[in-house]
Amino acid sequence: MTNQTSNSTAGVNHLRRIATIWVVLAVIVDVLYAIFVGPHVPPGRLTTSAADNQNTFNVLIMISLPVLVGVWVYMAYSLRNWTEKRNGADNFAGAVAQTNKKAQVSWIVITSVTVLILAAYGSYAVVSEHGSGGGEGPNPAWAPAGALKAETAALVGKATWAPGSKNVLPVQVIGQQWKFTYRYPTFGGFESTQLMLPADTTIAFNVTSLDVIHSFWAYQLSVKADANPQVNNVAFTETKDPGKFTVRCSELCGIWHGAMYNSGEVLSQAAFENWATSTEAANAANTALLPAFAWTYVPDANGAAGSYYPDGTATPYSPVETYGAKQPAS
Amino acid sequence: MTSTLNNSHGPSETPEEREYEMRAHISSIWTGGRLFIGIYTFMLASLVFSYFYLRSSNNGLLWRPDHVTAPRTYGLLIFGLSMTTSVLAYVGRKRLAKGSFSDFNVAAWTGLGTGLLALLLQILEMSHLPFFPGSSGYASCFVGFGVMNMITLAISAYWIETTAARGLRVRRELPGENAEFSSHPRARSFRADVASMAYFQVFVGLTGALLFAMFYLM
Amino acid sequence: MTISAERSTEVVGASSGHDGGSKGLSWTQRPGLLSQNLITAIVFAIVGYVVGHWFGNYLSSGYTYISNSGQNSIANTLALTFGVVGWLLGIGALNYPLAKLLGYDGLEEEAPVDNWTKYFRYSLDHKVVGLQYVVGVLLFMFTGGLLAMAVRAELLNPTTHLFSPDTYIKIVSEHGTIMMMMATSIIVGPLGNYFVPLMIGARRMAFPRIEALSFWIFTAGYMVIFSALPYGGFPTGWTGYAPLQTQAGPGMVSYLLGFAVIGFGMILAGFNQAVTIINYRAPGMTWSRVPIFVWSILATASLLTLATPVLFAGGLFGLLDKTVQTAFYVTEHGGSSYLWQNLFWFFGHPEVYIMALPGFGIAGEILPVFTRRPLFAYKVAAAGMIGVALLSFFVWQHHLFQSGINPDMRPLFMLTTELISIPTGFIFLVGLGTLYRAKLRLEIPMLFVLALFFNFLIGGVTGVFLSDVPVNVTVHGGFFVLSHFHYTIMGGLLFAFMAGLYYWLPKMTGKMMNKKIGKVHFWMMFVFFNLTFFPMFIIGLLGQPRRVFTYASNLQGLNDFASVSAFLLGLSFLVFFFNLVWSMWIKPEAAPANPWESQGLEWLTASPVPSYNFERIPVILTDPYRYSEPEAPAYADLGTGGPADPSTHSMA
Repeated sequence: MTNQTSNSTAGVNHLRRIATIWVVLAVIVDVLYAIFVGPHVPPGRLTTSAADNQNTFNVLIMISLPVLVGVWVYMAYSLRNWTEKRNGADNFAGAVAQTNKKAQVSWIVITSVTVLILAAYGSYAVVSEHGSGGGEGPNPAWAPAGALKAETAALVGKATWAPGSKNVLPVQVIGQQWKFTYRYPTFGGFESTQLMLPADTTIAFNVTSLDVIHSFWAYQLSVKADANPQVNNVAFTETKDPGKFTVRCSELCGIWHGAMYNSGEVLSQAAFENWATSTEAANAANTALLPAFAWTYVPDANGAAGSYYPDGTATPYSPVETYGAKQPAS
Repeated sequence: MTSTLNNSHGPSETPEEREYEMRAHISSIWTGGRLFIGIYTFMLASLVFSYFYLRSSNNGLLWRPDHVTAPRTYGLLIFGLSMTTSVLAYVGRKRLAKGSFSDFNVAAWTGLGTGLLALLLQILEMSHLPFFPGSSGYASCFVGFGVMNMITLAISAYWIETTAARGLRVRRELPGENAEFSSHPRARSFRADVASMAYFQVFVGLTGALLFAMFYLM
Repeated sequence: MTISAERSTEVVGASSGHDGGSKGLSWTQRPGLLSQNLITAIVFAIVGYVVGHWFGNYLSSGYTYISNSGQNSIANTLALTFGVVGWLLGIGALNYPLAKLLGYDGLEEEAPVDNWTKYFRYSLDHKVVGLQYVVGVLLFMFTGGLLAMAVRAELLNPTTHLFSPDTYIKIVSEHGTIMMMMATSIIVGPLGNYFVPLMIGARRMAFPRIEALSFWIFTAGYMVIFSALPYGGFPTGWTGYAPLQTQAGPGMVSYLLGFAVIGFGMILAGFNQAVTIINYRAPGMTWSRVPIFVWSILATASLLTLATPVLFAGGLFGLLDKTVQTAFYVTEHGGSSYLWQNLFWFFGHPEVYIMALPGFGIAGEILPVFTRRPLFAYKVAAAGMIGVALLSFFVWQHHLFQSGINPDMRPLFMLTTELISIPTGFIFLVGLGTLYRAKLRLEIPMLFVLALFFNFLIGGVTGVFLSDVPVNVTVHGGFFVLSHFHYTIMGGLLFAFMAGLYYWLPKMTGKMMNKKIGKVHFWMMFVFFNLTFFPMFIIGLLGQPRRVFTYASNLQGLNDFASVSAFLLGLSFLVFFFNLVWSMWIKPEAAPANPWESQGLEWLTASPVPSYNFERIPVILTDPYRYSEPEAPAYADLGTGGPADPSTHSMA
């Protein structure tokens, strides 16, 4: 079973033929993709995480397309040239198929190297892009500069943001059955059903839930973070130009999960400042009735979380007081 | 087919084939016993994982408020009795291997008694818990442990009882003195069963010690 | 005493109990209405259900907030549990365990009933269990498929709704759960049970009673999970995330208990397969001579036995949460919603390899027969399967990238997930290598295997996208991941199942499946499968989440295209059922002894297969798949002085 056999039958080198067809087709497909499809691939380029994710997606596609093409070309070739009708009606072929060690080793090496490169590239992408818009839990490992400081400041009401300040803007996303609301600690902690963001700003999303698990998916921002009760899931992105985006819940949260969506907009810095300060003023009476800003709002057996039921006797759940700057992991 | 001896055989066959199948059967009891321990390990590991996971999360500071602990007397008694069963099973098996059926018999039936007593005490403990099941992470894990322990004790009691009963029946039904040590297929199967059973009981004893430490001593 | 090719000719006397008569049968096994069969199982199940319900109400009578709630989880749990126990009692699965308490060892038991009613009983013939599983699996598939049609009908229009959101989410959840439960056993159950002993040259499984028990538990599990619907369904999807699980109504108990029951059956099935393959191989069958299908079942069995206990524990904790109010999954009381996620996915990822590996096994088994070539890189294929099984325990957190887990874990799990694609890719190395300069016979089983390669390639490659953390932000939780797993599970496993059925039904039933109808079935299934699920990648990339009843209006075109294709895909399954009925009953065509000219051991024994499988235990002489060597020795010596002749010892 291990005798060597040449690749050819009557002078035809099958593997070379297949390889030629493959390379030509793969190059054509990759080039067509890069020119016509690549730039338009979701989620677009509205934020740095979106651009990064789009780039990573395109890299993966440009590697996958040759793989798909290769296997399909080989299979099509075999269906055309190596059926029994074409090869004669004997039960056995003339040439004994052998276990080609070279082919096996090459395959294993090439697939391993490709996969390791992809893993390294993916790790690089996620670290360099500060999590790439994905939820990093309450203790984010890859935060942009100034983000953790802004977060800590937000909790005690000392976060600030103004056009041109280059500060990180913390925004809290509260999921509940079945809508998302948003709180802005830098503007007095008012709660809004609209998600407005300033352009050219690093945003720190703090996603939490009041009941079951939801998932905050701001599609064009390329941010996705699960909303868990009593957990603060932090995700980062950096907006670039103004634009509109949709928000959808992407974790099944009950009957009206399908209806849990809204839209938001990235405004210019001045317009955002305008919106935020005027909404803060307009909502001042409501904001005074809300629980104090906290990372989570779910009451537990130890009492009210985030002073949700402020009655003076319950111990408020303050992560900073209890755990210091480091939030409890889940 | 049903019968190890009769019905999986062809209408006519050779002694080598009979012996081949018998050895496969005996090895299966060995392999099966070890694999069963593997299965059980993963189930208990889920409990251990839950314990340490909830402990490190300490959500709402409710892992173990006031270091609540289940009643230690119950725990000690249950663990002690269950450990006795394990030891008796081990000793019984060793004595059977040395040729003493009566030692095995006594050990097995006593082991069944201690095992059943442990099961009874576990049920009693679970129906008289001093804390509400959902009052803390520890409480939830303890209830889960209690249920799993009941399952474990029931399985171990079943296995020791069936081997003991089997020993008596083999001794009675097979021809000749000390039939249980003969090379009759039923006797060989019985001895293999005892070996696997003892192995499992030792496993139960060891994991019981770990779980006892986790829930009553830590 | 070993068995060799020069075997002795001394025979022992004929064994007893082969006349199929009722001499010496225990009363529970004799033919007749009162003996244990499907009818007694149903009756005992109903009685058990009622008793359990009463008992649960009795236990909770002291707690008015439970007993007055109209959804007493304790009563529901006990009702379903006692119902399952009654089912098993009624079919006779518990006779032996109970008799063991009296020391009974079952080694000299008489043959049970051997007429057509054996298919409706607790049978210890692995071939009967295999055929029972075929029916069971097709029943699951039909139910799940109908639910899928309902889902796609709802998604035809984003604003006009056929179902209320409550009903819709119930349908979605039930579809997913039933399909996943079916898919776990779809090959191991029918084809694994029927053919593994034949392919390793054994006369029986190591533990025939456990094997039969696994089937009756499988059916009990189906009924438990189906009972969710009359109980009001469950809203969590097949993934059952807490705290939605905690919030849900009585139907949730059916889900949790259903998983516990099916999980128990899966553990038993895997246990039996693993022990059989390790111990009952025929003499001469060293590990390098084991058929690749058997390797895949061994790898699958390792996952079935070791991963499923975690599901069982997770389900148990969920049931405790619902019945005695523990707080395993309730963050606010010291538990954690992440605990369920971790336990579930620790099982859930090996689970999908439980589904993928048997499909690869069938592909590997069928390729040599229809290419007339040895299996290329056989050792790599087997090693790959073991590698996949082992690695599958280390990747589970790739389902949780955006959930708020420790972020440092994510590159680690990205790496392990990427690594697992290496052994998974070996099946393509093997497939392409076997196709090289082959003599392809494009029979229907081969067509399905080629389709498997086509589909699984897409499914596998999209898996790499999902494993990449940045890209995962876009593709998790939407239709992209949905399409990925339909491509791998349905496009891979289900096509492999069809290949296996078309290939092996002639052996199991003695009848060929009709080729013309089969070709219609294949092309419809392949084309419409791809037309249904390929657009879903795009739908997912364009932002549609999973499990929703409404979506952006610009996606309606794609959704409608997918829905219509899905209906036609459903139609292709009806064509399959029609083919089954046509070929088995309406116009059966007798199958030759070895229609595919396969060298597999299962084809060399007599047809129909006698209850004892082989007249003599075979001796394996050489490697399998020596197709392109005309001078190769026979694979096995069956001890009958030549290839198996048509059986004169038929029992049926």
